[in-house]
Amino acid sequence: MAGRLPACVIDVGTGYTKLGFAANKEPQFIIPSAIAIKETAKVGDNSARRVTKGVEDLDFFIGDEAFDATGYAVKYPVRHGLVEDWDLMERFLEQCIFKYLRAEPEDHYFLLTEPPLNTPENREYTAEIMFESFNVPGLYIAVQAVLALAASWTSRNVEDRILTGIVVDSGDGVTHVIPVAEGYVIGSCIKHIPIAGRNITYFIQSLLREREIGIPPEQSLETAKAIKEKFCYICPDIAKEFAKYDSDPTKWLKRFEGINSVTKQAFGVDVGYERFLGPEIFFHPEFSNPDFTTPLSEIVDNVIQNCPIDVRRPLYHNIVLSGGSTMFRDFGRRLQRDIKRTVDARLKLSEALSGGHLKPKPIDVQVISHHMQRCAVWFGGSMLASTPEFYQVCHTKAAYQEYGPGICRHNPVFGAMT
Amino acid sequence: MILLEINNRIIEETLNNKIKNALAGHKPESIDVKIADFDGVLFHISNVGGDKTKIRISISLKFYMQLQEHGADELLKREYGPLLTTEEDGYNVSLLIDLENLPEDWEALVKNVGLLKRHCFASVFEKYFDFQEAGEEGHKRAVIQYRDQETLYVEAKSDRVTVVFSTVFKDEDDIVIGKVFLQELKEGRRASHTAPQVLFSHREPPLELQDSDAAVGDNVGYITFVLFPRHTNREARDNTIDLIHMFRDYLHYHIKCSKAYIHSRMRAKTSDFLKVLNRARPEPKNIEKKTITGRTFIRKE
Amino acid sequence: MSATLKPYLTAVRRTLTAAMCLENFSSQDVERHNKPEVEVMSSKELLLTPVMISRNDKERVLIESSINSVRVSISVKQADEIEKILCHKFMRFMMMRAENFVILRRKPIDGYDISFLITNFHTEQMFKHKLVDFVIHFMEEIDKEISEMKLSVNARARICAEEFLKRF
Repeated sequence: MAGRLPACVIDVGTGYTKLGFAANKEPQFIIPSAIAIKETAKVGDNSARRVTKGVEDLDFFIGDEAFDATGYAVKYPVRHGLVEDWDLMERFLEQCIFKYLRAEPEDHYFLLTEPPLNTPENREYTAEIMFESFNVPGLYIAVQAVLALAASWTSRNVEDRILTGIVVDSGDGVTHVIPVAEGYVIGSCIKHIPIAGRNITYFIQSLLREREIGIPPEQSLETAKAIKEKFCYICPDIAKEFAKYDSDPTKWLKRFEGINSVTKQAFGVDVGYERFLGPEIFFHPEFSNPDFTTPLSEIVDNVIQNCPIDVRRPLYHNIVLSGGSTMFRDFGRRLQRDIKRTVDARLKLSEALSGGHLKPKPIDVQVISHHMQRCAVWFGGSMLASTPEFYQVCHTKAAYQEYGPGICRHNPVFGAMT
Repeated sequence: MILLEINNRIIEETLNNKIKNALAGHKPESIDVKIADFDGVLFHISNVGGDKTKIRISISLKFYMQLQEHGADELLKREYGPLLTTEEDGYNVSLLIDLENLPEDWEALVKNVGLLKRHCFASVFEKYFDFQEAGEEGHKRAVIQYRDQETLYVEAKSDRVTVVFSTVFKDEDDIVIGKVFLQELKEGRRASHTAPQVLFSHREPPLELQDSDAAVGDNVGYITFVLFPRHTNREARDNTIDLIHMFRDYLHYHIKCSKAYIHSRMRAKTSDFLKVLNRARPEPKNIEKKTITGRTFIRKE
Repeated sequence: MSATLKPYLTAVRRTLTAAMCLENFSSQDVERHNKPEVEVMSSKELLLTPVMISRNDKERVLIESSINSVRVSISVKQADEIEKILCHKFMRFMMMRAENFVILRRKPIDGYDISFLITNFHTEQMFKHKLVDFVIHFMEEIDKEISEMKLSVNARARICAEEFLKRF
């Protein structure tokens, strides 16, 4: 069916929502998943309080506008990737579609995303909103990890397009390690790590606080964030890196210039070891979090070792990065090297234990980095939603009316076979 | 948000980013974005021939041919003038912005580009408003098929301009809710003296369209706006066009919002019912309660 | 409360209280099965005569009882088109959440809008009189809620229409 309008791809995350039209390389909007509403002082629980007589429920803002609105309460309908408040979610989508995308939902197919281990009921509720309120002609609910895998196809050959791999997804709040086999998430093996972008920022902030006195206190967090985004990278070896800095400081030290938001005076910060120490907490978490000491590479290795034996090799072969906090230079290389070391040590041990009778086939460890990493999930969705196959696997409005919301419990995997 | 916005945010934001980037002296990056808008409109923002400083914004409307008959080309020439460029393949109109040669008031320019769709629509209204102003009668009715099954008719008399929308409700429930809205629209004139007269008919086209091949069906509604000179005069017409060309989307937007509202009411009521039902469950007995100091608290029956 | 509502609800309450005299009863056909007899209707001797209480031709309640289960089906007042779709939407909405509503049947009986199925297991775990209270509360509230929803939709439509026309 040529001439069809592009599908809308909306990836609602805990922190940010990415929305746009399929077939584009980047989402058209990245807005905070926040909604600002007017709260009434009535008694009763949340839902009862919101029932109004007029059109007060249209009086709200989403995204960046939510923070600018005065006299409104800012809420986050999504917590830990799962929708918590469906009323607000419905209204959030209302504005996403009509104000930001400017799409008549009756004309566009929709691809929404869900976190791994989403409940089937939540899918039904999503379907209810999309089909009944918005009359969308078709809906597909994709798992974020699978989309991130699909996004990594950009950097590889057509024959390598597989949906088996392990996704390391690191955003602002939390890092997930999610194994996927043939498009299905191995739910029992997922691991969450309490180290992500925000922790790096805090760590850098604490390093700076000890040394730099020029930073205005109320701006210390954003300064740390800016330094993280601008200067940080991953080093192969901290001891050597320290030596490198000490022997030739002029080459490695950077200077960050900021402007005090109150006095409008410029201030400068010397950026030194934090350039590599910040992101290093992925590999040495004990630097910032005394309760959690397992490095990322070890966790990835553990997750793979927990998976069924026949998918372990393909998983090692396809470790995919996604999310903004994996964008540090050489992140992929370091992860690959560390995992490779663990794996090789294990193989050597088994060889030694067998007394030299067994010679295991070496395991190929490969970490995939690509330039769509930051919005990998959205990009994967955009890519899949622009294929003709997407329209075949979508749940249609007719099917919804015939069978009910139950049909959206299952969303078939597609795209791997082409 | 009660009224829908007329401008296209995506275009504005994309262009603003590009221009600010260019003004700050950064290297321009390539762009290739395809987006949609209401009424099946497609935009394509891209670079011309690989030159990253030239941004072309193209619009495709299925009914542009019909608009052309009513002077869309002239109107766009008036609005955009030198920005117009040869249209891209598969699109109807293209504008070109040269990042190396920006006017002082580029913000106004970007705003105006964001209104591209509105200006395309405006031609037909302006033409008939002019007819009315000049008192010319007997011009053929303008027919714009603005969506696949939905049509817009404009007709000028010496004392009024009639605009008839036909709209299709895809969902059975929407027909009912839509009828409520249209009924209120008909009566809404009481609230405002300056409002145009609104008529609506369900299933069959109004009398004006009896001789045409207007669609008939259970899910079709016709809305007639009778615009008087106070709406079509030079000062008011821009506002009138802004409102009226978005009417169909406004109506459907509010039908959807009403359904969202009904949903949230139902959620509230359902949780209320659940609470009543759970009262039927006996409270579990013998839960050990502790006092603040940690001692066990046992209620004697 | 209108003159006929009260006796109507009282009649439902009394009938329901009487009908909710349930006991555990194993299936007569399949070993080690236990099924609500009012649903399977396998044997006549286990079923009681259904009672229908109606307030008018639109609002009525059907109470079917058996040895181990009662089925209550309610037909809700639907005065016009909009009430009809609101009622339909609401009932579908609730039945989708039947999991939480333990006694709600996922599908209504033909000719009714919503059905509840109460088995002996429910009456063993929950207070009978409170279950009856719930059904009565439901019947009272549902009419109120639907007419309120209708009013709100009308009010919204009016506001939207006026907002639009005001701008001219």
